[in-house]
Amino acid sequence: MRDDIERLLDRLVHASVVERVVISVAALFAAILVGGVLVFVSGGFASCRAGLDLAGATFCYNPMQVYYELFLGSLGHPLGGDWTPMNYSLATTLRQTTLLIFAGLSVAVAFRAGLFNIGTQGQLIVGGMLTAVTVLFAASYVPGGFVGTALLVPIGVLAGAVGGGFYGAIPGALKAYANANEVITTIMLNFIAIGVTSTLLSWRFQDPDSANPQTRPVPEYAEIPNLPFVGFSGRMDFSLLALGFAIALMIAVAWLLARTSFGYELRTSGTQPEAAAYGGVDEKRMTVASMTLSGALGGVAGAFWVLMQHGYWLENVPPLGFDGIAVSILAGNNPLGVGFAALLFGILSSGANSINTATDVPPELVGILSGLIILFVAMPEFFRMIGRRYVDVGDPAPVRADGGEADD
Amino acid sequence: MIDDIDRRTVLGILGALTALWIVAGLVFPDSWAGVLLSITASPSTHTAMLRLAVPIALAALGGIFAEKSGVINIGLEGLLIVSAFSAIIVTFWLGSGESTMLLSHHWWGFAVGVLASTLFALIFAIVCIDFKADQIIAGLAVWLIALGLAPFASRIVFDSPNTAGVGRFQNVTIPVLSEIPFFGYLLFDTPPQVYLMLGATAVGWYLLNRTAFGRWVVASGENPKALDTAGVDVRKVRYAAVVLSGVFAGLGGAGFALGQLGTFAGGGETAIGGRGFIAIATYLFANYHPIGALGGSFLFAGLEALQIQLQNLGYAVPTELIRTIPYVTVIVVLVFVGKTRLPEAAGEAYDSDED
Repeated sequence: MRDDIERLLDRLVHASVVERVVISVAALFAAILVGGVLVFVSGGFASCRAGLDLAGATFCYNPMQVYYELFLGSLGHPLGGDWTPMNYSLATTLRQTTLLIFAGLSVAVAFRAGLFNIGTQGQLIVGGMLTAVTVLFAASYVPGGFVGTALLVPIGVLAGAVGGGFYGAIPGALKAYANANEVITTIMLNFIAIGVTSTLLSWRFQDPDSANPQTRPVPEYAEIPNLPFVGFSGRMDFSLLALGFAIALMIAVAWLLARTSFGYELRTSGTQPEAAAYGGVDEKRMTVASMTLSGALGGVAGAFWVLMQHGYWLENVPPLGFDGIAVSILAGNNPLGVGFAALLFGILSSGANSINTATDVPPELVGILSGLIILFVAMPEFFRMIGRRYVDVGDPAPVRADGGEADD
Repeated sequence: MIDDIDRRTVLGILGALTALWIVAGLVFPDSWAGVLLSITASPSTHTAMLRLAVPIALAALGGIFAEKSGVINIGLEGLLIVSAFSAIIVTFWLGSGESTMLLSHHWWGFAVGVLASTLFALIFAIVCIDFKADQIIAGLAVWLIALGLAPFASRIVFDSPNTAGVGRFQNVTIPVLSEIPFFGYLLFDTPPQVYLMLGATAVGWYLLNRTAFGRWVVASGENPKALDTAGVDVRKVRYAAVVLSGVFAGLGGAGFALGQLGTFAGGGETAIGGRGFIAIATYLFANYHPIGALGGSFLFAGLEALQIQLQNLGYAVPTELIRTIPYVTVIVVLVFVGKTRLPEAAGEAYDSDED
């Protein structure tokens, strides 16, 4: 029996794909555990009428209840009575999932090429703004109704991809031709994106009818349409069509990376740059190309954020790009894994609302949880050390920022 | 591809432009150049600049030690947030304006703030050095955790992401010296965190350039194998450098919170608002030189002070665009000005092959 378990553990730890899944799941549980302890302890500092009295202090928060609300509340409480699949909480979860698939893919593509794109947030901001501005401009030349939707939505998404792709190409070119570290330049470009878009907004594109810093809304027919009969209601800001497109794009990126020569060259320049160079890959052009592709995916995230969630671009952009980093890291930078990781982070993001309404625990807990998940996924060695207490494991090979294997 | 421009050439061009501006401002005092000049020369801009420089200069100093030792600390922003927030909340808990054991509660809050940042840096060090985590990812995690933790704790205590106000440090005036014309008021009649910033920069420069520890830090980042061969434990050097970065960033965050803000807004980007990232920009701009980083922080904080003064006078300023200047500067410096080079072994875990 013990031999069987040892053999199983041994195989688990040695197989690289399985190993990454195990590490991701272990990191998730470790983060939930630490988060639970944090919730419980901080309950001792909160004031409430009824709580758990322990050692002279009153602990107000129940971690089990918090996680119950987080995971089941985000699906609209499927265990309770009168549950319908088309509820608002589930729509929020799936909307976040859709946006995070794009953002996660953006980070994953760069990672696989050996580049750490922290700039997805900036690419999303720029792409989203270009989407709103382009659609507003094009709407005056395009008829309304179905034709308008069929023309304006693709134009908007394309504009987002172009804007994000251009903004991603900048750090790519700086890396390729001036050897500027992409981690630093993308962080700086995030702040530059915020400054430039805000300036453009107040200079030209501000909605005169709104007190909020935002553009004019695009016509209703330019928003992502809902599926009739089976879809969610339009007020929920989520469309199954968008989720379908995200999943299709995810499969396309997976296929691009795994089955095409471009994908092969991209992955090789990530894991073995010297081998790629000997194989005839132009390293500089590959750097620019992969950052452009990564930026374009970030821009698409921005386009869907504008066309699905709000119908206009606003200055206060949620940190989808940073969550995209978490999604990609949790997914081991695997495009198909991004789908699952995006669903998890979609649940976290929507569950924050349920925590806020159903418990006294501050919803910012969710931000701490995503930070903890990233921290634990980043240290596979920690879990290997725990694993090594039970089985003899071979050489450790830490996950690197560039998605490659460590070279010793 | 791009020819490196000498730092001296850049400084020369900047100097010439400044001279041109001063002449233009003096000749046409009603023009933009003149207004800008009078504000730039006003003492209130200078005092504001020194106070705004505190978190940037001290976090940058911390970042220099960590990165020089081979551990890139992207989490500086998180360390600033943690220290600023915990300094405020502890001062509030103890009761501001009173004192315990002859020490005002502001100083107890300050001490806890520095301690909290140091503790976070220690966790970051364990994760990066012993568990060989990717430094960039772990640094981002530190930032994200701090970004969630501050409003989380604030909501529990204050029912709002913003804390209550606890008042600020009083100015410390040194008699006689503060009477020195031109700069006496600036350097010797100022809140305590400014003295701390100037002192810490001097200590940091001395430590890095004049002591054995400083040489070990540099070697640990450039050639850890050689340092190991010379019989110095790379692991210990890196631990010390990263923890030191937590101490410096903590001084900056807690000093800024208690000396300048007096309260902490935890919503959105928090009251720190990206100053930790400006700190990274600053030390890269200064090419890891502690005193250069102090100068760089004066430059970036001066821009902020200038913009605030212009707004107070009722001028329409493209605030958002001016805020991007530090970030644009660092990209320009990285691309066009040579010699800013990350340490050879930065970002890599060191394995002594002794297991």
